[in-house]
Amino acid sequence: MLSYLVHRVLIMIPTLIAISIVIFTIINLPPGDYFSTYIAELQSSGEAADLAKIAFLKAQYGFDRALWQQYLFWVGGLLHGDMGYSFAYNLPVNQVVGDRLLLTFIVSFTTILFTYAVAFPVGVYSATHQYSWTDHALTLLGFLGLATPSFLLALVLLYFANVYLGISIGGLMDPQYVDRPWSFGKALSVAAHLWIPVIVIGTAGTASMIRRLRANLLDELQKQYVVTARAKGLHPLKLLFKYPLRMALNPFISDIGSLLPHVISGAAIVSVVMSLPTTGPMLLDALRSQDMYLAGSFLMFMAFLTVIGVFVSDIALAVLDPRIRLQAGRRQ
Amino acid sequence: MRTGLAFVAAATMPSKIKAQLQETPTLQDDVTSGKLPKIEERVPIEPSVADLQTIGTPGGELRMLMSGPKDTRMMVVYGYARLIGYTPALVLAPDILKSIDVEEGRIFTLHLRRGHKWSDGQPFTSEDFRYWFEDVAQNRHLSPSGLPISMLPQGKGPQFEILGETSVRYSWRHPNPLFLPDLAGPSPLFIYRPAHYLKQFHQKYAEPEKLDALVKDANQRNWAALHNRLDTMYRDDNPELPSLEPWILKTKPPSDRFIFERNPYYYRVDQTGQQLPYIDRVILSIADSKIIPAKTGAGESDLQARYLRFDNYTFLKASEQRNDFKVRLWRTGPGSQLALYPNLNVNDEVWRGLMHDLRFRRALSLAIDRHEINQVIYFGLAIEGQNTVLPQSPLFERGYRSAWAQFDLGEANNLLDQIGLTKRASDGTRELPDGRSIEIIVEDSGESTEQSDVLELIRDSWRRVGIKLFAKPSQLTLFRRRVFSGETLMSIDKGIENGLATAAMAPSEFAPTSQQQLQWPKWGQYYETKGMAGEAPDLSSANRLKELYEEWLAATSEDEQGRIWHDMLQIWAKEVFSIGTVAGVLQPVVVNAKLRNVPEEGIYNWDPGAYFGIYKPDGFWFEFSEAPAQSAAIPPPAPR
Repeated sequence: MLSYLVHRVLIMIPTLIAISIVIFTIINLPPGDYFSTYIAELQSSGEAADLAKIAFLKAQYGFDRALWQQYLFWVGGLLHGDMGYSFAYNLPVNQVVGDRLLLTFIVSFTTILFTYAVAFPVGVYSATHQYSWTDHALTLLGFLGLATPSFLLALVLLYFANVYLGISIGGLMDPQYVDRPWSFGKALSVAAHLWIPVIVIGTAGTASMIRRLRANLLDELQKQYVVTARAKGLHPLKLLFKYPLRMALNPFISDIGSLLPHVISGAAIVSVVMSLPTTGPMLLDALRSQDMYLAGSFLMFMAFLTVIGVFVSDIALAVLDPRIRLQAGRRQ
Repeated sequence: MRTGLAFVAAATMPSKIKAQLQETPTLQDDVTSGKLPKIEERVPIEPSVADLQTIGTPGGELRMLMSGPKDTRMMVVYGYARLIGYTPALVLAPDILKSIDVEEGRIFTLHLRRGHKWSDGQPFTSEDFRYWFEDVAQNRHLSPSGLPISMLPQGKGPQFEILGETSVRYSWRHPNPLFLPDLAGPSPLFIYRPAHYLKQFHQKYAEPEKLDALVKDANQRNWAALHNRLDTMYRDDNPELPSLEPWILKTKPPSDRFIFERNPYYYRVDQTGQQLPYIDRVILSIADSKIIPAKTGAGESDLQARYLRFDNYTFLKASEQRNDFKVRLWRTGPGSQLALYPNLNVNDEVWRGLMHDLRFRRALSLAIDRHEINQVIYFGLAIEGQNTVLPQSPLFERGYRSAWAQFDLGEANNLLDQIGLTKRASDGTRELPDGRSIEIIVEDSGESTEQSDVLELIRDSWRRVGIKLFAKPSQLTLFRRRVFSGETLMSIDKGIENGLATAAMAPSEFAPTSQQQLQWPKWGQYYETKGMAGEAPDLSSANRLKELYEEWLAATSEDEQGRIWHDMLQIWAKEVFSIGTVAGVLQPVVVNAKLRNVPEEGIYNWDPGAYFGIYKPDGFWFEFSEAPAQSAAIPPPAPR
């Protein structure tokens, strides 16, 4: 088990190096760099760029050097915890990202809770009442949720929330709270705004989770140990929660790997539509304007979380499911 | 000759009126507690007196929406505190300066207002000018490229003299007509800096250990990077940087909400002696640009035009009642909303020959139904015609706009036949001499669907003279690259930027002077790089335009400048280097129903204009219901 862990940790290093090369290459693939994009953008709106300032920044950040030198410079910084400099914000990347992480975390975490809270009961109910009319109705609802484009739902909800409830459009709180420290009023305002993104981002996830839980559970419910337990007179609810439901959970645990980066990145498109102060729109903007240190370092951070997440979920699976643990042991 | 021409601020208050200065209510507490000096000591001894439509009451908050952290610079654009600035009639007048003397178009003497102070209360003097000129602009660490181009007529910098605490003089050997317009620009040439603040970050003045510590703290590489980071007069993202603007930044970035508070040392007062700006705070909320029209419609902005487009008008108008605002329509300044640019530097030789043929360009222009475009896309509210100066410009002549702009398919066909493009393919498309059919791919920057809509209409009418048009939306950077390298045959983009030009403004857009000019990027690049890159113009009319531009640069009187302008506009009209469609498309401006002194009709333009800047938002004020309705009905300003 220990050598397995060490092996898994060591393999992360080449993985991360490969990812960093891919990220850097892709960001640099489009023609030009941040400054040429910036100049073009300004000129298209009729503004002139301050060329002296741009010449200064270009020289400072080595834009005149070869690509591989720029790459080494970036990676070298990352190893020291220096994520580089965002040209669009005119600030170190750490500061730009830092502020948004908390709100992203709140949105994503609430969304996950919402997804679980809805999907679990519904999934279990549909599986145990397979092909009843309630199962059909819930399935239909689930598919509707899966099929509705989330940005459309977002716009519709925003409109009604503004016209009937007087909630300001977009954002995660009323404007007057944005730059205030946390208080009861601010938390209330966040709560009033939070439900829209949570429902919108959550719907698609909820539907797919219901389907997966239902399918997994159905597989288990057919099995002989369930029949046996039932024959022995175990209380149906106790039976359900103690055996087949636990078995059906395995896929969710292996999901943790992708969950971790998801919590940080937020849902980019919905966040853009709703103008949420989360990291999704920031990343999209950075990629579009080729703000390369901001985009690169943030993607790298997410890649790192994904790798960690997969590692954690593998371990969790082994810990939780004796079959996986024992099989691995037997092979050695 | 413009010898000894002087610009004097029209309304400089005689000093005896100082007794009437009134303290701003919101600052009263700070004054009583001693945190701020009294108003008499805050405003300059000779303040600038605003000439306002209605006298306001101070107070209130102005909310605006912006789309990104870079947009804090808009407060410098809107604030429009300039050494010398444009009035709404587009005349240059001293603003921060008390007066300015110009001799022979080359010697500029600037006189500051006595007692003018930075927003932190420190005096604003000639030292601030010296610091920039000697220690910033000519420091090779801070300004690797040296003095800005508009201070280098014929490549030579000025001689700089300090004539006292409140006077400085710049003398060039040649006339410098670019200097004053650049000082008045929306993104101005800042020839001064708050020296007392920035010196602590300058190698020449700071103690080395202290400076090193500061550099390290700020996570910068060296002192120059730190100085550059903090010296953001235009971008306005350093709350500690002293300023002369009406509102000064109070929020440290990054944020999604930026608060600007009134500058207690501002240099302008109204006719009754109240210090401007009237409005206490300006709040910029950051939202995605696509959601801004919706948020504006929901009443979340008190003054908004940026990120609103003409096609949002109906939606905004529908929410007017519910959210208590007014939608006004202002004219925009470009010479044409969209113009077609035949690329005279296209790589394909056959095509290049055709593009160089005057008759071909004229025929393409004649085969566009501008009236239809106007009716279908702009509700008939725009001005049809070529890509040239607008009727509001003093240089305007009807002929410039109407030349070759009528819809005349017969004449267009005639011209094309004359060129010899008589062979046609089976579907009626004309053929090039080498047998290829005439299919013009028009590229655009892909920023909006407006281009595609206009092209759709042009396609139909060009079809009738045997020319096929294909629209190809691209991506901004890529689009420009392809045009610059000669791969693009024709492009569609905004027309000339300054449709409101006066004789004193540089006619650079009408001559091959920049790579950004989509009809002749390589010729422009040749001029920009002084022949190092690009190609020399090989069309006599283009060369003539360049000569005229150089003559304009050397001209010393406004008459001479005007004559050159007209020569250039005539060539421009005759040659159809760019094909205009419609101009003066209206810009929706959403104004809170309680906000006063915002003109009913105005020009929404970048330069000259600075968007709201020339209307001086420091004089805007909120009329709340408890105040007497002395000026409920504001007469619209005289049409210009």
